Amino acid sequence: MVNLLERPAVQEVTETPVAGRRPVAQLTLPTLLTLTAIVTIAPFAAMVLVAFAPPGGRTFPDALDPTHFTFANFSRVLASSDIPRWTVNSLLYSLISVACVLLFASMAGYAFAKKKFPGREIMFWAFLATLMVPFQATLIPSYILVSNLNWVDSYWGLIVPTLANSQAVFLMRQFIIQLPDELFEDAEIDGAAEWRIFTMIVLPLIRPVLATLGIFVFLWHWNDFLWPLVIGQSGRMQTLTVGLATLQSQSPPINQLMAGATITVVPSLLVFGLLQRYLTDSITMSGLKA
Amino acid sequence: MLVLFLVFRLLPVVGALLLSLTDYRLSGTWDFIAFDNYTRLLSDGMFHQALLVTLIYTVIFVPLTVLLSLGTAVLLHQVVWSRGFFRGVFFLPYVTSIVLAAVIWKWIYDAQDGLLNGVLGLVSIGPVDFLGQSGSVLPSIAVTSAWKGFGYSMLILLAGLQAVPKSYLEAAMIDGAGTWQRFRYITLPQLRPVLFFVLVIETIGAFQVFDAMYVMTGGGPVRSSYSLVYFLYDSGFKYFDFGYASAIGLVLFLIVLIVSLIQRRLVGRDD
Repeated sequence: MVNLLERPAVQEVTETPVAGRRPVAQLTLPTLLTLTAIVTIAPFAAMVLVAFAPPGGRTFPDALDPTHFTFANFSRVLASSDIPRWTVNSLLYSLISVACVLLFASMAGYAFAKKKFPGREIMFWAFLATLMVPFQATLIPSYILVSNLNWVDSYWGLIVPTLANSQAVFLMRQFIIQLPDELFEDAEIDGAAEWRIFTMIVLPLIRPVLATLGIFVFLWHWNDFLWPLVIGQSGRMQTLTVGLATLQSQSPPINQLMAGATITVVPSLLVFGLLQRYLTDSITMSGLKA
Repeated sequence: MLVLFLVFRLLPVVGALLLSLTDYRLSGTWDFIAFDNYTRLLSDGMFHQALLVTLIYTVIFVPLTVLLSLGTAVLLHQVVWSRGFFRGVFFLPYVTSIVLAAVIWKWIYDAQDGLLNGVLGLVSIGPVDFLGQSGSVLPSIAVTSAWKGFGYSMLILLAGLQAVPKSYLEAAMIDGAGTWQRFRYITLPQLRPVLFFVLVIETIGAFQVFDAMYVMTGGGPVRSSYSLVYFLYDSGFKYFDFGYASAIGLVLFLIVLIVSLIQRRLVGRDD
């Protein structure tokens, strides 16, 4: 994650490619692209086809026959597993985290960028230092901490530790620091209260960053595996991502497993379909990694 | 926020360091044992195996994913028409979870009923037990992870390609440089810092591999896909040897740190 800081600046320039290619190149290019695209999509396509195929058939090539669509696999996997419960857990884990991380990160980012207070530098460096430590390295102490709070197998244990997101704070600080100081100084001279400056001036200005960061935080949590795995030890507290792994370890019929997999991917696909532009642009600009 | 950060971000970092010097057990009792965990690691065959597996995986995964993302980025850079569409397709797996990728690909690789063996069967090859053999299990997992993640590096590299000044390429063309020569002598050198960033971020990611192995193989067969993080997970949550697991975590941190420092040294020299 430290790489966020070291990422070489890249300006996206829209341009047309160099003209004057040979005709062979003009033909092979689309072919290569299309082939790569087909190979990229194939696993998803296979998953969906098998999920909708009649149960019990040989998966290949029978399941790839699109004339026998059925929802039977979905109703069976929903009945035999805890998918509804896992979905609720995943939604709580992702949405509460998005709301809190956005609020905390924008407040802390604003403080680091524009406020002068004792110990600011040393605190900011502490933040940066934690960015360098891979999450897995702090997994055990985080777990012991949560278990001492008696938070194992609870929403508190699942959500609260993930709210201290240094990467989000860092991103916010980098964005807010570019805003002109006068904006805040004028408001302060006019006697505006701190909270009013934050809600009336800071928040509207950082709306685009809030949107992109929100998408990333959502995907981080929705797709997260290791932390929910160790915290949600009883089946009751598992998220959908962990639940899918549990489901697969019980080796259900392949049609049902793929139906379950299809359910877990729907929110990611929604985010992708609606907000693809935001996602790709923000990766290009900031090097954020989900 | 500050309290949250201190408690859940900074405390675990300090905690990891301290824990690794103790024999903290499930009961909460512990003794200070200085560097015993580390000396134990050095002579632990399981640790050697996990380190070896992680290294081999990294050596397979990083070139694979960098070539894949560079290749697709170059292709995308060449087209104007439909670039957005193809970019979206290549980026799609990136928004899904590695668990989902692992579940789908485990079935694709399946020896009896898998898609890949079905296709290979059409040309009378196989069946191959991709995940059941120690020789093929790491490449198979690396392919899955590369498929899931190459869209990210592709976007970064595509932006890098678009930042290469067009005038350089045109000048080279006037001087009679062919497509390959232009790529080799102008695009690649210009792309170097971006390529380096991608290389480092993928290397760090590779050292943290766990999810795919947990889902696809359980570390098998015979621990031939048993990574460092898997070893950490088992030590902590199967054997509840928390001090020992923390020491493994710090080794992982050191590796990531060294990779970052090498990056800084090499890129710094360049600029």
